[in-house]
Amino acid sequence: MAAVCAALLSLLSLSPASVQQQQSPSPSVPGPAATPLGAPGASSTPVQPGFLVVLDASHGGNDKGAAFAPRIFEKDITLSLARILRKKLEDRGVGVRMLRDSDVSLSLEHRAELCNQQRPALYVALHAGEPGKGVRVYTSFLAVTGPPVGRFLPWGSAQAPSLQRSQAMARTITRELQKRDLKATQMQAFLRPLNNVVAPAIAVEMAADGGDVRSLEDPKLQDAVASAIASAIEQARDHSGVSR
Amino acid sequence: MIPRHFQIGISFLLAAILIAGIYIIELRKGEEAKAQQELAGPEAPEAHGKEETIRILVAYDDDLALRWRNTRVFMPQERDLRAQAALRAVLAQYKQNPSPHPLPRGADIKDVYLLDGGTALIDTTAQFADAHPSGIVPEEMTLASLVETLSANVPGISRVKFLVDGKERHTLAGHADLESFYQVSAVHQLAREFE
Repeated sequence: MAAVCAALLSLLSLSPASVQQQQSPSPSVPGPAATPLGAPGASSTPVQPGFLVVLDASHGGNDKGAAFAPRIFEKDITLSLARILRKKLEDRGVGVRMLRDSDVSLSLEHRAELCNQQRPALYVALHAGEPGKGVRVYTSFLAVTGPPVGRFLPWGSAQAPSLQRSQAMARTITRELQKRDLKATQMQAFLRPLNNVVAPAIAVEMAADGGDVRSLEDPKLQDAVASAIASAIEQARDHSGVSR
Repeated sequence: MIPRHFQIGISFLLAAILIAGIYIIELRKGEEAKAQQELAGPEAPEAHGKEETIRILVAYDDDLALRWRNTRVFMPQERDLRAQAALRAVLAQYKQNPSPHPLPRGADIKDVYLLDGGTALIDTTAQFADAHPSGIVPEEMTLASLVETLSANVPGISRVKFLVDGKERHTLAGHADLESFYQVSAVHQLAREFE
């Protein structure tokens, strides 16, 4: 219980105000000036919300990601999961931006740039993979640092000041997954573009259940995973003090 | 009635077409064999130096584990060649059949450059990345097993950078970062997650 409280308390700092405070002095992370989340097919809620989540369906276009079977690609599973998760978050009144909502290619740099321009409260990258089973929740493998000093952050370690809040969010999501009897593991990874994101950032990876790659396409599994993530994000939003 | 000289001409033409066809087929076979040979790459490290027992960290996909193993390898005296031999010993495990962590036959270490200040550059073949299974876990297990093996067999390395065919790449196969330097201390921590 204490751990739960600690995790939720640590998420208090997820409010946009605090994100603004943290980012304003360090808008270092460069990006194309006139790209308003410009990925073709990207979608958004109509009103600028107070607590914004950027969803990144990893891979897309020529980048198929993992190929589980001749016609089962990671890029399609991540997009399907992202759409379900978007719906669940919107139902809970959480603002969502998707970096892609169709089968388009986006470079890793561009994903981070688009995300940083939104100044979100949370960035969630979605993946699917083998081997293993269950769901793995990742944060960056950077060392935790204090608040940024000066105006700029190094591109390669822009995530470091947000890392503790990323880890707290990952713990909450892992717990929510476990509550739904899903095998969930929290890990760290040298995974791009997590290091380049200036907000709390996590990656969630669904693994094929016992090597059954068809399970990744199972709507029930995707729904359960999305529900757990949405529930954890809702808790973070509620504890951040941001009104809907 | 077809004139005799015309019959002879057609016969020569048919024979020439037949010979050319056989020649083209043989030529193609030769090119395919050459391509296969290039794809396969060097199969085993050349036997230089003295045979030693070294520790290598091997990835096992079945239970998502990294485990230390002892193996006998010919280890040269030069540090960079020792590093290359140790890393090739890991890849040899992955290229066998059955494999605990399958990698393409052409996956190999082209060179290892040991720089001042504890930096190592590992240059791999293009096939190492091009045909590597895509996924967060398989990619991280490969890199962690190589960095840990290098660190265990060549003292004094503090950070490692991977190149693919002499060039930088964003990721190994869509996930694991290849642009950054891998701090050996961080990889120790990652490896512990898999032990």
